[in-house]
Amino acid sequence: MSYEVMVGNKAAATACKLARVQVASAFPITPQTTITQYLSEMHANAEWDFDFVNVEGELSSQVVVQGASRVGARTFTCTSGPGLLYMHHPMQTTGSGRLPVVMAVVHRGYKGMQPDHSDLMSQEWTGWGHWYVEHAQEVLDSILMAYKVAEDPRIRIPIAVGYDGYVLSYTAEPVEIPDQALVDEWLPPNKAIPEVLPDKVNPATFGRGWGGERDPQVPWKEHHDAILRIEDVHKEVMDSFEKTFGRRYGNGMIETYKMEDADVAIMAMGTIAGTCKAAVDRMQANGKKVGLIKLRSYLPFPNKDLLEWGKKLDGIAVVDRSICPGKGGPSFQKLRDTLYELNDKERPKMLQFHAGLGGKEVRVRDFEMIGDKALKAAKGEKVEQVTWV
Amino acid sequence: MIEIRLHGRGGQGAVTASRIIATAAYEEGQYSQAIPMYGTERRGAPLTAFVRLDNQRVRERMLVHEPDISIVLDPLIAKQQAVVDSLKAGGLVLLNTAQSPEEVKLGGDFKVATVDATTIALETLGRPITNTAILGAFVKITGAMKLESIEKAIKKYFPGRLGDMNIAAVRRSYAEVKGPIQAVVTDAPQEKADLNVGGYGVLKDVSSWRVFTPEIDVGKCIGCKSCWIFCPETAIQWDEAKKKPYIEYSKCKGCGVCANECPVKAIEMVRVEV
Repeated sequence: MSYEVMVGNKAAATACKLARVQVASAFPITPQTTITQYLSEMHANAEWDFDFVNVEGELSSQVVVQGASRVGARTFTCTSGPGLLYMHHPMQTTGSGRLPVVMAVVHRGYKGMQPDHSDLMSQEWTGWGHWYVEHAQEVLDSILMAYKVAEDPRIRIPIAVGYDGYVLSYTAEPVEIPDQALVDEWLPPNKAIPEVLPDKVNPATFGRGWGGERDPQVPWKEHHDAILRIEDVHKEVMDSFEKTFGRRYGNGMIETYKMEDADVAIMAMGTIAGTCKAAVDRMQANGKKVGLIKLRSYLPFPNKDLLEWGKKLDGIAVVDRSICPGKGGPSFQKLRDTLYELNDKERPKMLQFHAGLGGKEVRVRDFEMIGDKALKAAKGEKVEQVTWV
Repeated sequence: MIEIRLHGRGGQGAVTASRIIATAAYEEGQYSQAIPMYGTERRGAPLTAFVRLDNQRVRERMLVHEPDISIVLDPLIAKQQAVVDSLKAGGLVLLNTAQSPEEVKLGGDFKVATVDATTIALETLGRPITNTAILGAFVKITGAMKLESIEKAIKKYFPGRLGDMNIAAVRRSYAEVKGPIQAVVTDAPQEKADLNVGGYGVLKDVSSWRVFTPEIDVGKCIGCKSCWIFCPETAIQWDEAKKKPYIEYSKCKGCGVCANECPVKAIEMVRVEV
C-alpha cells in the first residue's frame, strides 16, 4: 500500500489504473476535465495496457464504452453537468444493454458551473445504479466496488459514481492506494456475456431490439429487477472489500454516523455529508441526539435499511442537493414513499431541506440549524415542512 | 485542527503551496486537506486557497472561514487589511514584504511575521513565484511541521533541479523570516477589498495586481501601435493628437505583453516599489 495527497479526480483516474480498465473514453468538461487529463497522461506513459479514445463529445464517449463493454472489455467514462445531459440518449441503451460500464459523474449543476446533484439526479430514468460519495478515498474505493457490483452476473447494470465538483474534484487530501496485486485478486477481469455478443450463426439483435414473440414489457421488468438486486450484492461487495482492503462505508447502501443513541437523523449525500459529520459531533457534545444517515446509493434506494431506521427514529431531516422544479427534492420524496409502509405510530416526522443548490456552500452551522429543527419537529413543535437553507 | 488561508495571485503558486503543506503534514502522520478557491482563476488575479491539518481525516467540506494562520504570497496584497479579516483572535499572519513586522500597518489582535519572499524567489528561482519562498518562513514561525518534510513534499511536486532551487528558496526564507511579534496597530482599519477572483480587468480596477509596471519612453516610441493592438485589457490608450500611446494604469494588470511586442523596446517593465 502506498499513499498520495491527491485531488478527487486523480483518485478516480487511479481507480481506473488499479481496476485495469481496458477501454476509456471521455470528453473534457469542467470540473471533470482533469480525470481526462490524468488518463491521457497515464496512457502516454503506458502505465498499463488500455485504449483511450478521444471523442468529439459525450454522446460518442458513452457509445464508445458501450461498444467495448458489449464485447467484454472493462470500460470507464466520466463527465459533468451538461456533458451528462448530452449523454442521456446512449445512457439509456447502456442500461438497456445491461452493460457494466462504470462512469464518474463530477457534479456540476446546470444553473451555473458550481456543484449540485441535479445532473445525475436528472438521469434517474436511464436504468443505471447511482451512487453518491463524500471524499477522495471513497471515490477511489467506490469505483473499484462499482466494477465488482456492475460486472456481477446477477447484476450486469452500469453504475454512475457521483461526487461533487471543485470541493472534491479539485481538493487535495491523503488517499491510500491499495496494492495492485491485491486489487487484481479481488477484482478479476470482466467476462463478456455470450448471449449479448453478435452471433453470425444465429442472427439476433442486442440492446433495445428484443424481437421474437416475447412480451415487450419483459425487458423492462428484467431491467428493474436487476437494479433492485444491487442492494444485496452491494452489501456483499462492501463486506469483501473491507476484508481485503480494511476500509468500509457503512453497508454500501447507507453509511450511518453516530446513530446509536440518536432520536433524529439528518439524511444527506455526497460531500456535505462530511460537513454534517462535524456538525453531529458538535451537536452530540451538546447533548443533542442527532445522527447522520449518509445516503450512498440513491438507485436502488435503500428501502430495507430506511424502513428499519424509520421505525426507530422520531424524525428525519432530508437534505437534498438537487430539486426537480415543480416536484421537489428527490431523496425526500423517495424516503416518504418508502416510509409510507409504516403505520402512523411508527412513522417519523419528515422535514425537507434544500441546500447546496447551485454550489451554495453548506456549513457546519447550517447542519446544526437543520438538526435543531428536526429535534423540535420530533417533539411535536410546529416547524416549516420545507426549508431553503 | 489548524486552519490556514493562503492569499496570492494566479501564477504565484498558492494552490501548489497549499498542497505542499498538506503533503508534508501527511508525511508526519497528520491528516490534511488542501482546497483551492473555485472561480475563474487566471494568472495575476488575486486568489485564495485553504489548508486544514488535523489528527483525523478532515470531514468538513467547506471553505475556511476563521483561519488560525493567514499566509500572504504577494507583497501588494499583503498591504490589504482583508488578509487578516476573520483571522482567529491571537492568530498569525505571515506576509511577503520587505518591511519588518514592526512596520506593518495591518491592525488587530494577531501576530505578524514578515519575509521578503519576492526577492528570495527572484534570486533563487529567477521568477517572482513565491510559493516555496514563503514556506520556509511558515515552518520556522509555526513549527507545524519539520523543514525536512516540506523539502520532501517539494521534491514530489518539483523533481530534479527545479526541486533543488525551490528547496534553496525554502531554506533562505527559513533563515530570513522576521517575527512573529504582536501586531503594532491594534485597531483594524475599516477598508474592504475583495481578494477573490471576480470579473475581468476591463470591469474593475486591477492596479493592485501588478508586480511589474510598464513605463513608456515616448522619445523612443515610433507610434506603430503594436502595444495598443496587443494589450489584452485595453489599458493602452491612443493619443491621436500626439500620435503616441499612454497607459490607463487602473486597467493594467502588469502582464508585460506590451513590452514584449514593442519593436523598439520603448516600454520597460519596472518592479513596483513596496
